[in-house]
Amino acid sequence: MELVEKTSGDVIILELNGRLDSNTSKLLEDKVMEVLGQGSKKLLMDFADVDYINSTGLRVLLLALQQLKKNQGKLILCSIKDYMKEVFEISGYTEIFPIFSDQSEGLKGFA
Amino acid sequence: MSDSVAIHLDNHLSELDKLADEVERFGEANGFSPRTIYQIRLVLDELLTNVISYGYRDQRRHEIGVAMRLAEGLLTIRLEDDATAFNPVEAGKPDLECPVEERRVGGLGIHLVKKIMDQVEYERKEGKNLLMLVKTIE
Repeated sequence: MELVEKTSGDVIILELNGRLDSNTSKLLEDKVMEVLGQGSKKLLMDFADVDYINSTGLRVLLLALQQLKKNQGKLILCSIKDYMKEVFEISGYTEIFPIFSDQSEGLKGFA
Repeated sequence: MSDSVAIHLDNHLSELDKLADEVERFGEANGFSPRTIYQIRLVLDELLTNVISYGYRDQRRHEIGVAMRLAEGLLTIRLEDDATAFNPVEAGKPDLECPVEERRVGGLGIHLVKKIMDQVEYERKEGKNLLMLVKTIE
């Protein structure tokens, strides 16, 4: 998995690429902790180029959300591929994460 | 129309890539949607990551069998391993209703398996875990 970090105003955008699984999720977890450590409270994760996620990856998203909530922050997800959406639903994640169709919509979610 | 494939894996996480390729090949050959291919990959990933990571108490090589069969729109997957007895059918369900702050992060993998597959049956026989998974392919 590859990770590109961008900023838009006070929002940190993480563009994820590849597979979010047992081998790669630690990378994302470390990145999230680094970003939070710098005091950022608005995080947008872009899944446009993510083609696989398993429960290890989903767990990292929940941990990130929990950390951000503790600090009155917000985590938004966007651009999840259609074929993966059902897994977010059965994980109960569509109830707890704001999910938007693309990055520009996702950024509006912080307003 | 029917098709089947049998794969043997060693108890190493790196073997899961090989399995993912086989699932993709089998799914594409039989016209599965990207959603179904992803979900079957996910189910096998969750179950076998558990077996390989937590199922063995020695350092020896163990073989895990995965057999997939598609017949009349019904996909049947049979998993066989000689790991410690573990019955995923009886594994606890994560509480998806509780507030985010208190939500536990474990148990999700098995929950996904049970939700994605239509049927999951477990049997412990002659020192082996046998798992039968069934899903209707639309």
